[in-house]
Amino acid sequence: VSLERELAQLLAEVTGHPELAGLPAEARLFGGEAGLDSLAGTLLLRRVHQRYGVDVAAEDLNLDALESLGTLAAFVAERV
Amino acid sequence: VIKCVVWDIDNTLLDGVYLESPEQPPPADPTLTAVLRELAGRGILHALASRNPPEAARYVAAATGIQFAAAECGWDSKATAIGRIAAGLGIGADAVAFVDDDMIERAEVAASLPEVLVLTPEDAAEVPQWPEFSPPVVTAEARRRSQLYAARQRRQAEAAAFGGSRDEFLRHVGTRVVIASAVPADVPRLHELSVRTHQLNSGGAALTAAEIAGLLGSPAHIVATVTLADSFADDGIVGCAVMERNGAAAWPVPVVMMSCRALGRGVLEALLAWLCRTAAGAGATELTVPCLVTDRNVPMRLALAAAGLRADPGAVPAGGRALFTRSLAGPLPELPDWVRG
Repeated sequence: VSLERELAQLLAEVTGHPELAGLPAEARLFGGEAGLDSLAGTLLLRRVHQRYGVDVAAEDLNLDALESLGTLAAFVAERV
Repeated sequence: VIKCVVWDIDNTLLDGVYLESPEQPPPADPTLTAVLRELAGRGILHALASRNPPEAARYVAAATGIQFAAAECGWDSKATAIGRIAAGLGIGADAVAFVDDDMIERAEVAASLPEVLVLTPEDAAEVPQWPEFSPPVVTAEARRRSQLYAARQRRQAEAAAFGGSRDEFLRHVGTRVVIASAVPADVPRLHELSVRTHQLNSGGAALTAAEIAGLLGSPAHIVATVTLADSFADDGIVGCAVMERNGAAAWPVPVVMMSCRALGRGVLEALLAWLCRTAAGAGATELTVPCLVTDRNVPMRLALAAAGLRADPGAVPAGGRALFTRSLAGPLPELPDWVRG
């Protein structure tokens, strides 16, 4: 399973929307079809920190890593 | 009816963080110690869930004089800990209340265990009067607050069962957000919000009632209140922002604050969109929001980023405020149709 799909699975879990496990890597997380809000985004970052040891919120002031699953996967992959 | 209260330790039952001085740990919080004793006297059990070594639980038991029915110390999620405590005591999650000062811990438990009554330490100080905690007398105010929590649990259960997107859910439950200019009668509530919103507060500092009244009377400032209601409950004023008029230039927003009760209901996003649109409509060229950067206010930073604001990472002093900025030229964030501004 690719890192992107693992992250999609975490996203499905924190939002309670199983269909988000199939979200395309380039889809926008905020605004776009994922419709992420700031709470769901925070819970996702916490799961990422627990699972991969990467603290995105501490390293990325503007949280640009959360643009899409693809950008988040790239950010995490550079640091694990 | 609540049969067991599960308590966090750091900055909840203790007035500080245990591991910062394990040789001489911080004292027990006197208000919550009184609540522990009062509830124990009614036969309600207490338990601990903490990211601390087991010594911390022994210390809390000694410092409060309370026998805890269970203690989960370790790195599992609080939801996992609560699940184990409830199973061990043979009670359902709907008979458990959970108290933690950390908004994100609370949000995580609320998301995975919607039956659990999730409380801030401030609310926990009042629960001896709530009907779920079997008090001898229930006041009208205590009943109203407990009803807001009950409504939140029903909303969470419905959200978990709902198939559509978040926006569709907010519309489905008749969410109504009104953003309006504050009036003098709002001052006590705005002061309370300013004192109680530690984690969804861009400035990080509380405003006195006199400071808020002064801003209301100032023609150079816009003080906006946010009220929230849906088919489950009327939450009243849940948020506030202060913006400075500054002609055809950058308009600063020194204060954005939001009750954690409103988190996940689209309100912070709506307020930021309203600020952008109001400033742009009056000729502002940019919006600037100074925001304290901590590990606790990530939802605030996420909402700022989603509204198109960015800060210069090179210009943030350690533990200081980052200046989040966006241009007001071009397309602005949209206000959802359930918001009246």
